Amino acid sequence: MVAPTNFSSRNQVAPGAAGRLSRNPSAPWRHIDLLLLGCVLAVCVLGCLMVFSSTRGSDPAAFDTAFVAKQVLFIGIGIVLMAVVASVDYRRYREWAPVAYGVVSLLLLLVVSGLGSESKGTQAWFQLGPFQLQPSEPAKIVVIVMLASLLEQFKHELNVQRLVMVLAVPGLPMALIMLQPDLGTALVFVAITMGMLLIGGVQTRHIAALTLLGIAGVAVVLNSGMLQEYQKCRFTSFLETESRVCAERDASYNQDQAEVAIGSGGWLGAGLGQGTQTRLGIVPEQHTDFIFTAVGEELGFAGSGTLLALLGVMAWRIWRSAQLARDPLGTLICVGVLSMFVFQVFENVGMTMGIMPVTGIPLPFMSYGGSSTLTAFIAMGLVMNVHMRRFN
Amino acid sequence: MKKDTPGMRLSLLGIVVVALFASLFARLWYLQVMVTDEFQVVAQANRVRVVPVGAPRGRILDVTGKVLVDNAISVQVTIDRTVLAKLEEDQRARVLTALAEALSRASKAKTVADIETDLANERYSPYVPVPVARDVPEDLKIWLDERAAELPGVSAVRVAVRQYPYGSLASHVLGYTGQINDTEFESMANSEKPYTLNDEIGKSGLELQYEAYLRGTPGTREIEVDAQNEPIRDIGGEAPIPGDDVVLNLNIDVQAQAEQALKTGLAFAQGRSCAGCKGAVVAQVGSTVVLDARTGGVVAMASYPTYNPADFIDGVSDSEFAYLDDPANFAPQNNYAIQGQYAPGSTLKPFTAAAGLSAGILTPETTINDTGSFDVPGCSGDSCTFRNDNGKAYGTVNLSRSLTVSSDVFYYGLGARFWREQDVLGGPEMFRSLLERWGFYKDTGIDLPYEQSGRIPSPQWLTKFCEEVDCLEDTWRTGDNVNMAVGQGSVLLTPLQIANSYAAIGNGGIVWTPHVVKQILDGVTGEVIETIEPKELSRVDLLPEWRAAIVDGLLGVTTSEGGTASGAFSGFDSAAYPVAAKTGTAQVGTKKAPTAVFGSFAPAGNPQYAMSVLLQEAGYGGTTAAPIARRLYDVLSGAIPLVPAPPGGKLDDLATLAPEPGDVRD
Repeated sequence: MVAPTNFSSRNQVAPGAAGRLSRNPSAPWRHIDLLLLGCVLAVCVLGCLMVFSSTRGSDPAAFDTAFVAKQVLFIGIGIVLMAVVASVDYRRYREWAPVAYGVVSLLLLLVVSGLGSESKGTQAWFQLGPFQLQPSEPAKIVVIVMLASLLEQFKHELNVQRLVMVLAVPGLPMALIMLQPDLGTALVFVAITMGMLLIGGVQTRHIAALTLLGIAGVAVVLNSGMLQEYQKCRFTSFLETESRVCAERDASYNQDQAEVAIGSGGWLGAGLGQGTQTRLGIVPEQHTDFIFTAVGEELGFAGSGTLLALLGVMAWRIWRSAQLARDPLGTLICVGVLSMFVFQVFENVGMTMGIMPVTGIPLPFMSYGGSSTLTAFIAMGLVMNVHMRRFN
Repeated sequence: MKKDTPGMRLSLLGIVVVALFASLFARLWYLQVMVTDEFQVVAQANRVRVVPVGAPRGRILDVTGKVLVDNAISVQVTIDRTVLAKLEEDQRARVLTALAEALSRASKAKTVADIETDLANERYSPYVPVPVARDVPEDLKIWLDERAAELPGVSAVRVAVRQYPYGSLASHVLGYTGQINDTEFESMANSEKPYTLNDEIGKSGLELQYEAYLRGTPGTREIEVDAQNEPIRDIGGEAPIPGDDVVLNLNIDVQAQAEQALKTGLAFAQGRSCAGCKGAVVAQVGSTVVLDARTGGVVAMASYPTYNPADFIDGVSDSEFAYLDDPANFAPQNNYAIQGQYAPGSTLKPFTAAAGLSAGILTPETTINDTGSFDVPGCSGDSCTFRNDNGKAYGTVNLSRSLTVSSDVFYYGLGARFWREQDVLGGPEMFRSLLERWGFYKDTGIDLPYEQSGRIPSPQWLTKFCEEVDCLEDTWRTGDNVNMAVGQGSVLLTPLQIANSYAAIGNGGIVWTPHVVKQILDGVTGEVIETIEPKELSRVDLLPEWRAAIVDGLLGVTTSEGGTASGAFSGFDSAAYPVAAKTGTAQVGTKKAPTAVFGSFAPAGNPQYAMSVLLQEAGYGGTTAAPIARRLYDVLSGAIPLVPAPPGGKLDDLATLAPEPGDVRD
């Protein structure tokens, strides 16, 4: 194995220079990926519009602005967090990662042990005053950094023992999340792990073995008593139009109505605030997991295509940051974020269009929700961190 | 794995990402561009519920423009199920109990269980409040309006219902409406004016016949609903269009006189002894028809017993309906003027005469010697002799005289000749076909439902009849023709056919299709959108001299000494208003009083009206049916002023029919 040239160091500058806004042309803040930042902010603006459109209610005299106001607040906090995360050299996170990992695992344990709040059959939140903290969201970031630092240490010399060690990192939080149970979020960890293992240098035969193991695992989970009946139905209903077990309205209703909403949008959509599937609350969970249907219905192919393009550009920029990173740690962090981001986009948008099963995964920067929005910003902060330090 | 580098693997990851995004774009393109039309239809259906809005029915007006059937406002108590469904169980029970108590206080007694039954009625759209009580007093509306907050979902609303300013007058002609039943709903599936299962529809009479005009075009209310099917707001719809008004040829003032005379005449017949009748006088059923002889317009049509169409407004109970339809009560729903089929007796004689004249076996000058009986040629035995009623001999009679005195013997001979000389007279069916020209044995085509066609028998008919029913005698004999000639045997006519055929004699041979309706008016503008022109049913070749001889004989019936209705028409100014008429007394079986019949037209020269009167099991036509006609001709001729029909159609129980007709045996 030969280390790629782009991992080698160029333009050596003392790390302390990053703190001061000096005229130093190689200061990290001068290398911020403005395209990625622009896309993030554009998607956030669109997200706020759609959250408002799907939560404002049907009374024009007294629109409900509570949701959109909170979302704007989350975005504000998120931007600050992103800046903070980006400003500290990512290499220093190596030392902090084990602590963060310990804290997040404890929180996940507490959430399933009864301190958490239950909603729709899963126990995934801490109720903190008016806000809800979903520890599985920050857990994704912590696992990315932990995996990156471990894989960097093993330097492509991954034997089976080391592989098991590496797998144990996402394994613990995943197991706790499956107890909530939240299959969708658990699958995000699978995506993160697979992507990072691929780039981290795991042997092809190990990847193949893990893939088979993963498929077997899903089959076991579906056939065990771990999931509620409705979760299994949601997961399998997209495969068949009429299932005997999943005959109740709930099983395919969300997905059918989501498809109707998107399909009825046509080229230009019904116009902002004019979508009837959106305005009349026909698509459930529309401001959170099904936000893409609001875009599809009200802004049509023009709007939802643009959104997909923005998300695609973001994926490209994250991938590019992985490529440009000055060390394997940076590459691995970016790949982890990329795997998480792409999986969430594909799963979320795919389920609203009927090509993926329905799971509770939010669309980054679009779906209403504090934990997921902050997590997405932190993830982008990490990517920017890696990107702007590609020269030092 | 020669080229398995981190860079390669990163590229592989990039390819996977591109592939995933590409499949999202492809799916998005498919949904939003390729099949978007289908989804737009589904989205629309998701959002809008269309609720029909009833339109007022058209009115029915008489020939002078008086409103016979109107729409009135009535208060209905309704329950909105969408509101009730949101209540807690105990609150719901409280509302229903309070409503049941309030209804009972307003003497519209209803239990909670009754209300629950109404609420469970699937005929109503979930967005349409269900009526639980109709025609409630205004007091209850005020009481309920004041308690709207305590009784969520309950409302007292004003609705249009059928109103009958003249009560039961002309009820058989007007008919009634009721809630559409499943059979009607299916047959109306393709109607231009769509029905819902709780719509009203014409059930009988003109309400049924002119349903297509009277029914308004329902409007729609388009309601936007949310995912829970909760109404959000009205987003439009179409306003209902009132139904068309129907103007009749019928004159309600004449109708009132006809119903009064018929009722009084029946009561008069009941009180009269009937010497020579084979059974007791019943006289519970009768009818009279007044036609415009020049057009076939129905001026009046009365049938007794009657019913009040207002009884049907709320829907009748099964027991009420059974009562109205029960033969034991003489089925008041039946319109005997078009549904009753009777042997016409001697009122058929003018048509037998016309058949003889057309066949050339009779001339106006032909005379016979009426000895009081007629022996069927070539027949021996007691049943071969046919007698005049009570065996009276009228001596030498010609055609006119035979009608005036109602000589049976004169017509027995004609009937016999049609059979015995069939080879030269056009065959065994000829007599029947000559009679049928007058609109017999077929529907007249009147614009009322359930018309019966009567019957003119013949050898062919008998053969066919005996294939279906066991007959005592399945061979047609001379005697059958003899009986037929005087309107007995198997001859059946409706009172309408009698009036219509007399109109045809009067107008020189035109048999009209009788019409109750004259015009259709647009329900909104009042403009005439359709005028029903007189329509010929058939035309009889009646030579003027033949008509003259017949009319001469019919005039004698009311004017000359020995005329069978001369008693009933004594004192009538026949010079000013000559009435051509024929009485009939038709035997029915061997144990019943005969049917009293009267057919006529007037003024005889150029008749304006034709009239029939028929009383079932009532005695002699000259004594019981003729006085009713006399009374009506008094009114029609202006001898007695035509008074406006009483509001509410209240008839006078104490009315009398002057003068006493005397004892006439025909």
